[in-house]
Amino acid sequence: MHKMKLNWKLIAGIVGAQLAFNALGANDLEVEQLKKQLQELDQKVRILEREREIDGEAAVAKAATAPKISLGASGFNLSSGDSNFVAQLHGLVQLDSRSFFNDGGLNGNDGFLLRRARPIFSGTVFRDFDFNFTPDFGNTTVQIQDAWVSYRYSPELQLQAGKFKSPVGLEHLQVDSVTSFNERSLVTDLVPNRDLGVQLKGDLFNGAASYAVGVFNGGTDYNGTTVNNSFQDDKGFAGRLFFQPWKNTDVNGLRGLGFGVGASYIANHPATASSTGLTPGYTTDGQQKFFTYTNGVNAAGAGWRISPQANYYYGPFGLLAEYVISDQQVASKTQSADLQNTAWEISGSWLLTGEDASYAGVTPRHVFDPRTGGWGAWQLVARVGELDVDSKAFIGGAFADPKKNANSATAWSVGLNWYLNKNIRANLSYSHTTFASYAGIPISAGSVPYQSEDVLFSRVQLAF
Amino acid sequence: MKNFLNIFLLLAIAATVQAKEIKLLNVSYDPTRELYVDYNAAFAKHWKAKTGDDVNISQSHGGSGKQAQSVINGLEADVVTLALAYDIDAIATQARLLPADWQKRLPNNSTPYTSTIVFLVRKGNPKNIKDWDDIVKKGVSVVVPNPKTSGGARWAYLAAYAYALEKNNHDDSAARGFIKQLYKNVPVLDSGARGSTVTFAQRGIGDVLLAWENEAHLALKEFGADKFDIVTPSLSILAEPPVSVVDKNAKRHHTTEVAGEYLKYLYSDEGQEIAARNFYRPRNEAVAAKYAANFNQVKLVGIDQEFGGWTKAQQTHFADGGVFDQIFQP
Repeated sequence: MHKMKLNWKLIAGIVGAQLAFNALGANDLEVEQLKKQLQELDQKVRILEREREIDGEAAVAKAATAPKISLGASGFNLSSGDSNFVAQLHGLVQLDSRSFFNDGGLNGNDGFLLRRARPIFSGTVFRDFDFNFTPDFGNTTVQIQDAWVSYRYSPELQLQAGKFKSPVGLEHLQVDSVTSFNERSLVTDLVPNRDLGVQLKGDLFNGAASYAVGVFNGGTDYNGTTVNNSFQDDKGFAGRLFFQPWKNTDVNGLRGLGFGVGASYIANHPATASSTGLTPGYTTDGQQKFFTYTNGVNAAGAGWRISPQANYYYGPFGLLAEYVISDQQVASKTQSADLQNTAWEISGSWLLTGEDASYAGVTPRHVFDPRTGGWGAWQLVARVGELDVDSKAFIGGAFADPKKNANSATAWSVGLNWYLNKNIRANLSYSHTTFASYAGIPISAGSVPYQSEDVLFSRVQLAF
Repeated sequence: MKNFLNIFLLLAIAATVQAKEIKLLNVSYDPTRELYVDYNAAFAKHWKAKTGDDVNISQSHGGSGKQAQSVINGLEADVVTLALAYDIDAIATQARLLPADWQKRLPNNSTPYTSTIVFLVRKGNPKNIKDWDDIVKKGVSVVVPNPKTSGGARWAYLAAYAYALEKNNHDDSAARGFIKQLYKNVPVLDSGARGSTVTFAQRGIGDVLLAWENEAHLALKEFGADKFDIVTPSLSILAEPPVSVVDKNAKRHHTTEVAGEYLKYLYSDEGQEIAARNFYRPRNEAVAAKYAANFNQVKLVGIDQEFGGWTKAQQTHFADGGVFDQIFQP
């Protein structure tokens, strides 16, 4: 019995052990399976995470090469991912008013006018080729102001061809939207306007010096209406060298100093059926003609100009000075002469709100937003200038009528500019111009220089 | 006026010369970062001693095919040091930035060092991977970049293909079947070799990484020899990463001379030593003998002998609609 009991115990023990062993074996297997499943799941999660990471990297890489579109204070920009192709749309609209005082009954000079209305298309193709096309719908005639392409080999060497500003006058070369006054000074009467030609230009020594030299059709003294052709055999040369020696230094007081010289030369510019080869007239700040050559007087022989020029900007203060000699051989039916007209101007500006003045314009520290206390930038401007016509032009009325034209004009102007933001600007200025006649010969009533010119300007401008 | 023009022209040209600052851009493939960090420092010293000038070399890295496309699209590389000749050929034919015979300008077909494809497995080799047959087995997860964008991936693909051809008496359909099986085991395709190393070593994905030999050694160095083992298969490919000056870019940057010397100096004793120290197989026999312990013996097949050159291999396997597109379904 005892033996049997022992056997039962042994059997029970063996069976129990077997069952326990089986149970344990089953658990191990399960654990192993679970471990494997866990590892597989872990790999799947890791793979999914990595795929997401790679997708993110691919999206970033794709974004870097995707075309970019931007719209802001600098206009509308569309560029390829690598920036080799860029298209930009800018614009300039200027609504002016002119009010003349004591003008002796001259009619038609007061009022509002759309001074400039220009859509500006510019950009780059194949990385190195820039272009610009700027028509102007302002004033009374539609004109193409700029139409050029430029190859940019390096900042030092650029080749530009088309219609653009002739590289002579400092004031004239300043962008139209950033000039101190509504109208440029008397000095710009003696430099060429936009012209058709080819020029080599560049910035040297990281902008410490710049040059431009080109061959052009050869423009007359400033003519507000530019043409798109000129079928004359003779061509003119124009060039400019400008230095800013301290531009890249730490010498604060001199960093904003620039000086240089512009010049032009043409051996001969014979008159054609459509042009006398001479200026259509010198104009005042109020854009009234105070000097024109007599009908039948033409350019006849060499003409040259030279223009020493300088500007200086230090903090809110700005100064621009320029002198021009314009020498031209002229001829009437009976006689000829070499006439040398001269002009100069000095203009200063002061930003009351403390922004930095610059040749490239003003960026307000606080844009106009009365709700947040922003009032934009305010700038005081002042200018004096003079233009002297060679007295030989009047001797015996040879080339100009001394009773209708001034021998010289002297002007001063003061103004207040309000930059609401980078795009909107408002100007208010007053200009006073006096005239001197040749040899004291009285000017006839009804002529512009009969009395001094006093004019109040205003402007609202949109530039982007 | 003529004199006036001449003076301006002279001034402009003088300024261009004055403003010259010696900067080089080396556009390279993914795993060469460390090699060129070392080499650039050595070359800058060499150039300074030779000319007295400082040279500042920038590096750009990515999948070899992508890098070539970037140069074609305008990335102004002075030199390219890419994973395979086909990518530099593409720059020559599509962008015409260098002559078609660029490969003849330097010794060894302009390949100053060679490499091959090996396996990087997890420590202890838990899946017992010894040769190519082991990585096509079910349940083995293989990490390799996308051969469409990565030069290393194309070499790895061709190494596997060459093995399958040899194993199957050059039966092409059997080789395709082998490759198809291999890519079934690939869970994720990175765009370049460095990305795949990240996937395998840092993200812990996969059982084996098909890697450049130098990249595998670098992984051991960077992540610890206690984490991975290198397995050298019975057969692999002789990878010959080529180098070239990008003539038009260098000319525009006035760097033709320094760029040419930069590549020539790779063949110097110092250049070859640096390559060997970075686990690239040097061409110089003396240097190769000195560093023999760094490189396992393996039967290497050449691209020309086995696949008829890169142009043919590219067309057959990696072009749109090629074998890879046929066998790989993402």
